[in-house]
Amino acid sequence: MASSRMNRRKFLGWSAASMTAIAVGGVRAQASAQGTAAPYPDWIPSSTKPPKKGGAMARASAWDPPVLDPRHTQSVGLYQFAGLVHNRLVRYAFSDETGSPNDMTLKGDLAESWQNSADFRTWTFKIRKGVKWQNVAPLNGRELTAADIKYCYEAYAKEGVQAFTFQEIEGMELPDKHTLRVHLKTPNVLFAHNMAEPVAVVFAKEVLEEDGDLKKRMIGTGPYILKEHTRKVRVVLQRNPDYYDAGRPYIDQYTILSTPDDATRKAAFRTGQSDIIWMASPSEMETIRKTNPQAQMHAYHNTLAPFGLALAQDRPPYNDVRVRRAISMAIDRQKQVDTVYEGHGILGWGVPWIYVQDTRPTAKDLGPYWQYKPAEAKKLMAEAGHGKGFETTLFYYEYFPQMSSQVQLVQQDLRKNLNIDIKIQKLDYTTYYGRYVEGKWDGMSWGFQSGHAVGLDERTYHYLHSKSTKNFFRVNDPMLDELTTRLRQTPDAAAQKVITKKIVDREYDQVFRMWMPYDNGFLMFQPHVRNASSRALRRTDGYGSPTIARTWLEK
Amino acid sequence: MYKYILRRLLLAIPVLILSSLIVFGLMRVMPGDALIALMGESGNVGEKELAKLRKDLGLDKPYHEQYLLWAWQMVSFNPGYSIFTNEPIPVALKKAIPVTLELAVLAMVLGLLIAIPIGVLSATRQDHTSDYVGRVVAVSGLSMPDFWLGTLVITFAAIWFHWIPPIGYVSLWEDPWRNLQQFVLPAAVLGFRLSAATMRMTRSTVLEVLKEDYVRTAWAKGLAGRIVVYKHALKNALIPVVTIVGGQLGVLLAGTFVVEVIFALPGMGRLTVEAILYRDYPVVQTNLMLVAGTLVTLNLLVDLTYAWLDPRIRYA
Repeated sequence: MASSRMNRRKFLGWSAASMTAIAVGGVRAQASAQGTAAPYPDWIPSSTKPPKKGGAMARASAWDPPVLDPRHTQSVGLYQFAGLVHNRLVRYAFSDETGSPNDMTLKGDLAESWQNSADFRTWTFKIRKGVKWQNVAPLNGRELTAADIKYCYEAYAKEGVQAFTFQEIEGMELPDKHTLRVHLKTPNVLFAHNMAEPVAVVFAKEVLEEDGDLKKRMIGTGPYILKEHTRKVRVVLQRNPDYYDAGRPYIDQYTILSTPDDATRKAAFRTGQSDIIWMASPSEMETIRKTNPQAQMHAYHNTLAPFGLALAQDRPPYNDVRVRRAISMAIDRQKQVDTVYEGHGILGWGVPWIYVQDTRPTAKDLGPYWQYKPAEAKKLMAEAGHGKGFETTLFYYEYFPQMSSQVQLVQQDLRKNLNIDIKIQKLDYTTYYGRYVEGKWDGMSWGFQSGHAVGLDERTYHYLHSKSTKNFFRVNDPMLDELTTRLRQTPDAAAQKVITKKIVDREYDQVFRMWMPYDNGFLMFQPHVRNASSRALRRTDGYGSPTIARTWLEK
Repeated sequence: MYKYILRRLLLAIPVLILSSLIVFGLMRVMPGDALIALMGESGNVGEKELAKLRKDLGLDKPYHEQYLLWAWQMVSFNPGYSIFTNEPIPVALKKAIPVTLELAVLAMVLGLLIAIPIGVLSATRQDHTSDYVGRVVAVSGLSMPDFWLGTLVITFAAIWFHWIPPIGYVSLWEDPWRNLQQFVLPAAVLGFRLSAATMRMTRSTVLEVLKEDYVRTAWAKGLAGRIVVYKHALKNALIPVVTIVGGQLGVLLAGTFVVEVIFALPGMGRLTVEAILYRDYPVVQTNLMLVAGTLVTLNLLVDLTYAWLDPRIRYA
């Protein structure tokens, strides 16, 4: 338990922030005030100027790919560049193809067009002709065919972290060289969207067959060729001259520099060694702007919270909805937003709001149990027979420093309002991860949902259906099972929205997943970087990396 | 002398066996499972898949069999593969060791360059301003943790000079100038900390030696101060310093993680700590045994250096 201890990160962050503030001329303690008031745009419109070719771009990155094999990881460390080496069958619109960060229109990537049968069990994809694998042995620039995609999808279904998604395929046919027909076990109107997920990249059959895995080489059809991957040092990507989207990419070389320390990444941006940087908070961003006033910045478009309080809701006392509701109402989420996120975070919800409504939800939209009502919470707890409170445990892994503060605030709120005594266990990643995904723990955990997912099916059926292997919050609700299944059988967009709203309302009402405030922070770009703005549910420096193929440097 | 070395080498065997048992045991009692972390990212932790992977990696065998297998791998210089990356461990070590070694040597050299002259100066100018300054520097070095000093150095270098060491390690042979730029700051940070203890030790031992009869004799003979201090006093004063420096080198080889992280250097520290975090048993076990072996060797070298520094010491 490290609930109130000054740990290394906090101390370091505090020291660096204070010393930097002194150095740049007395930046005042600007945390909450600036964060709350400053209008930070969450969208940089595409440049109207003609793109320039050439140049090299670099980014100091916190992540290192654990492995190169897309079957075995969904880590952002891999997908910060895997989407540039590979393509997917379909994709979402890029920033320069749309006028809104919320536009989730599908576009063809390796598929030129696609059609579904009336019952949404058969999907036919026409593969783009003339797409070549990168001119690297053993592919040597041969043409991509539908058989390549069939092979790849079968491999995904066979083993690895994406198996659940691809196992819904019953079989595949190849009517001709450039046509892939997919038969699903059950109807799914959102199947094409699942194939547009950043992780559903099409890898090379030859590499898997020759090496037995995909851990050593990465060869794709994408805009960049992987020239070098030196673990814990760098990833170097070079422009693929044979890329099917003629003229793109614009930048000749993109280098990702493994830089695990936050202060070093900031220093790299300050000195121009890095062209893109992510910042956790308004105050951090403002500190950088003191030394780099010309830098472009935008706030990440927060559409969901990936973290929340997960309860062992399949056993007492958390299987009682009154207890869940009471706990949720006893937590002051706005306080977390104001203090931990300097006023810039969101209150917390699990299904991206863009699938439910047109504007960002307010506290009112989240229903009565997301409001801070300690007196009602206490009453509800007493009704549930826990008026005197109880002792419990909460384990978590500190994904980022703010998380520890949030955990401590929840601990304080629940002790003060409900007399729930939480013993906090801060774990290392492996211990946390193993315990959490195994799903046999008692008490509470600071739970997560996977960060990569863009599509509605993934965010609903995959994470909420009782039979899904990705249902980490142990939700087991017949109504949600029915709704999430019905959603994937409903083709009409307006009707989808209605069902999604029902799913969300049911989740809020039953407090199945107790989402906590979150802020995905800010992205800053050097002044010469163009068209690198990320869109909803993706970050250019992470799962939204394919955006780099449309980025150019105005130098 | 040879008998002494042989005896020390033989004594090293039980030390290494004990170390290997501790390392192996600790890794097995630590909570968390590398395989679940490896397989479970999306919740697809199939019992069948896990069992297959355990079998492939020999983790389904009883502990004593696992230990013997690993011990044989170590003895035959074939430590196997990383569970997490599938990279052969010797390949990972071949990349990481030169980084840490270069960092350690540079830090040690810088540390000694700072520590010994200042230590001697402090001793010969006892209770003068230069002594006080030297002692303040020493206390500062002992008080400032690496992560704090490293962070400040890199942050202020960026703000004041608009420069930081180029990120993205290159080897000394590939590009010496770039390599030197990458190592100078981290080595200085480490060296500064190391210099503190060495400087204090140098100061106190030189002070002690300066009071010895033979030094008084040297003064009485009318020798120049420089000769008395550096030729007669310092050599004898260095014996305890060598002990400290030997220990520091061992610490450096195993404990540069924080500086490696701050300055983005892919050394042994990062390799080992990340392997611990992911429960990558083979990598952790190999690295720790390597450190244990290095420490045993360094201790032996330190003992042998005594004899060179002080011919009165004999190992019969």
